[in-house]
Amino acid sequence: MNIWVVVSLVSGVISVAAAVFYYRWVFQQDAGSEQAQRVARWIEEGSQSYLKKLYVALTMLSVGMAIVLAIIFGLQVSPGYGFTIAVTFIFGAVSSSVAGYMGMSVAVKGNVRTATAAERGLVPAFKVSINSGAVMGLAMVGMALIGMSLIYLLTESPEMVLGFSFGASMLALLAKAGGGIYTKTADIAADLVGKVEVGIPEDDPRNPAVVADNVGDNVGDVAGMGADILDSYIASAVAAMLLGAALPNVSADQRMMYTVFPLILCMLGSFASLIGLQFVRVREGGKPGPALNSGTVYTTVIFAAMVAAVILLSDIDTAALWATLAGLITGVVIGFTSDFFTGDDRPPVVETAKVSGSGAAITIITGFSYGLISIVPSIIGIVIAMLIAYFVAEASPVITGVYGVGISAVGMLSITGMIVSADAYGPIVDNARGIAEMAGMSPEVVEVTDILDAAGNTAKAITKGFAISAAALTVLALFSAYASEVYQAMLELDIAAQPMVISLLDPLVIAGIFLGAATPPLFSALTMLSVTHNAFDMIEEIRRQFRERPGILAGTEEPDYVACVSLASQDALKALIFPAFLAVALPLIVGFVMGPEPLGAFLGGAIFTGILFALLMANAGGLWDNAKKYVESGYFGGKGSEAHKASVVGDTVGDPFKDTAGPSLNTLITVMSLASSLFAPVIAAFHIF
Amino acid sequence: MAEFTKHLYLSMIPEAMIASQLSPEEFGVYYAIGTEKKSRGQAIFFELDPLFRHEELPIEEGFERCVPHDDGSPKRSVYISVYRVLERVALEAIRKLYLVTQDGRVLALDPAAECPEDTEGLHLYQEIAPVSPMVASTLGPLSFIDLIVRNPTSLLKLPAICFAELRLGELADDPEYGSVGDLPYPNIDHLRQCLTDLRTKAVHSKMVDRTGSAVFPYRVLKSGIYVGNAETVLFFPLPPHEELRREHYRWWRSANM
Repeated sequence: MNIWVVVSLVSGVISVAAAVFYYRWVFQQDAGSEQAQRVARWIEEGSQSYLKKLYVALTMLSVGMAIVLAIIFGLQVSPGYGFTIAVTFIFGAVSSSVAGYMGMSVAVKGNVRTATAAERGLVPAFKVSINSGAVMGLAMVGMALIGMSLIYLLTESPEMVLGFSFGASMLALLAKAGGGIYTKTADIAADLVGKVEVGIPEDDPRNPAVVADNVGDNVGDVAGMGADILDSYIASAVAAMLLGAALPNVSADQRMMYTVFPLILCMLGSFASLIGLQFVRVREGGKPGPALNSGTVYTTVIFAAMVAAVILLSDIDTAALWATLAGLITGVVIGFTSDFFTGDDRPPVVETAKVSGSGAAITIITGFSYGLISIVPSIIGIVIAMLIAYFVAEASPVITGVYGVGISAVGMLSITGMIVSADAYGPIVDNARGIAEMAGMSPEVVEVTDILDAAGNTAKAITKGFAISAAALTVLALFSAYASEVYQAMLELDIAAQPMVISLLDPLVIAGIFLGAATPPLFSALTMLSVTHNAFDMIEEIRRQFRERPGILAGTEEPDYVACVSLASQDALKALIFPAFLAVALPLIVGFVMGPEPLGAFLGGAIFTGILFALLMANAGGLWDNAKKYVESGYFGGKGSEAHKASVVGDTVGDPFKDTAGPSLNTLITVMSLASSLFAPVIAAFHIF
Repeated sequence: MAEFTKHLYLSMIPEAMIASQLSPEEFGVYYAIGTEKKSRGQAIFFELDPLFRHEELPIEEGFERCVPHDDGSPKRSVYISVYRVLERVALEAIRKLYLVTQDGRVLALDPAAECPEDTEGLHLYQEIAPVSPMVASTLGPLSFIDLIVRNPTSLLKLPAICFAELRLGELADDPEYGSVGDLPYPNIDHLRQCLTDLRTKAVHSKMVDRTGSAVFPYRVLKSGIYVGNAETVLFFPLPPHEELRREHYRWWRSANM
């Protein structure tokens, strides 16, 4: 039994215990007036109702997928292996669900308590909201550490942890895509009818979709984004573990050490996040944004120091330290870089707001162009991190270049606890603002929640950049893990004695690249079309309520909030079935029909376009959103001006870009890479060409 | 059957006299958001003394028709006249002004005891009734009324007028290069040119927009709303923004849409 794995398991338990501590602390805070609690209950019930439907669907899917895994691996390897893979898959899905449920549960309690605390000022309100977000961050990291460590302790096989990762990723894909479709359906419909047609302000309780809109913040940004980052977190660790287990020219003890090293990094990251969270404090009159950023910086520094200490005091090669730091620093830098393209006083946003006076077409062209430019610095960051990690590791006599790349991905994601905590803070304060408006709280309270909300938007933008970059490094590591798995399988099958070579001269490889490259655009289109289709249904429902019950607008009658919540839930779940099916089925079809090399090419194509599309969509969407906010804050004519009308169009176009399709692409490419790695031994043995 | 007080309203968008059994606040909500069968939109109206009468306006007949519905609900509106109404109303009959947002939030304004004295500089007026052009002028509000209603220097003359003075922001001091800021006016280059012409040419007023409607965002109101005829001028000041945000938060939010 490796002591580090035990320590990792214990650190996971500590992280979950800390999440439970924060959970209880948040529950103990004042829940506010009867009216505020009533509004919060609507949001809570809507969120729970969606999660219940999502988890029922996921249970069926997970059981079905587990049976398929058990049969395939039972026949290919052994019944015991197949059964274990199936169990770890379900364990992964359950762990991610539990963490998501915890995060959601506290978010729908933390929102009203934040609004109530805002009556006493910024400091108490900020404390409630960041502690609520910390539940999600710490629970996610804790559940992942417990899952990975426990499975490795019991099986001593990284392949089994791969099953756990695949389960978590499947759930993440559905949670992220479903949450993204839900949140933007409600957001767009509420805005188009409420603001544009009827002229009622944001978060006005007369809008029948206002509760669905707030529910969407929770299911999309808390459960969805959390699951998304967790999926990369686990996948990066698993990829590095697989690559560590495949290290050549090392002793058994060294191989074991390098296999569990990713778990050590995750463990140190969880402690660093826990400590870093203590530095997230704001003073009365201060700004929450810098407070959140300081938490990230402290966590990064503490983590780097811990890693350096562990590596210098142990037998681990120092190349692993440089690889870790390359990923860690790049992740933080890329996260803050995305703020440059989406920050509301930055040149790209100001420029887009300025040209909006010339019409919506110019707004779209300008925002889209900046979105395209925003790809470049992130890609350069990813390339630098990858190359540094690769060559530093390659120069080491012990570890390989691809293992270094895997470790850099883990290094980047190791501070996930802090990142997710800051990200979950966003929808909590957004909800708090909505509750303050809907419950008729004082303008001073709304003002405090406004200040909190502005920082939440920045945190969201940083998290998206971080998540996409982390996913990029993760899938690069998974790509290497896939190649390694194929090689191992071929060795066992006596098919080839050479590592897999993907030649661009092979027409099947070219076909694989094209097919893979087409998958992220197809997935994006399907999810965005789902948003427009579902929003159309909800717009009709909102119009119907206003038309048939004029008392709603007069304020004498309460809207039917449940109708919009139910519509958003059922439409979102229906809409994600086909894209989710494609994510798993396409790589397997390519693999079983065309073989391992074309599948590798397929993954390469999907990774390249997936990362580019994800960065473009996330940043262009964020930029359009903030260009509108910039105009609304009193520039280029302010609200009601021609610039405002054009920027509203840009924001509406950008909504499904940044919150539905863009962030889902991370998970898509991770799921496809994991499915390929998991099925690699079977595909190596059975393929048509 | 329930008894309802009968009210007399002078609407500015459109110019109309209306009898109603709804209180001013209820009428404002109804008038702005309507019912499923009616149109919607921003509303500006005065509450009049119900004892006011004019030989050209069939007020008595309107009140006779203003009776509750069969189900006992109050009569919402009986249109008494929709043409040349403002000029026939004695301004002494006006009690309050109501500014209603397009989503039905109502703000009541009392007339000021005195009109503020005119100030130097550039001004922007949105005429509300009886016609609705947007006009830039070097004349202060009182001088503007004097020019249009009392002592016209051109062939243009109105018997009475209701208008709002709008903010010009930095353009008031620097029409050519001043920042537009949060001024949402369409065709801003033309506005700049008009303001520049007022400074450089021997004219005191320039038509900025002859086709616009009387609807404007309340947030751009500079001082308030004026209504005047040959005898009287009334001024309805808009409270400071901070007071509106603090005391009339719902209205202020909707007015800032």
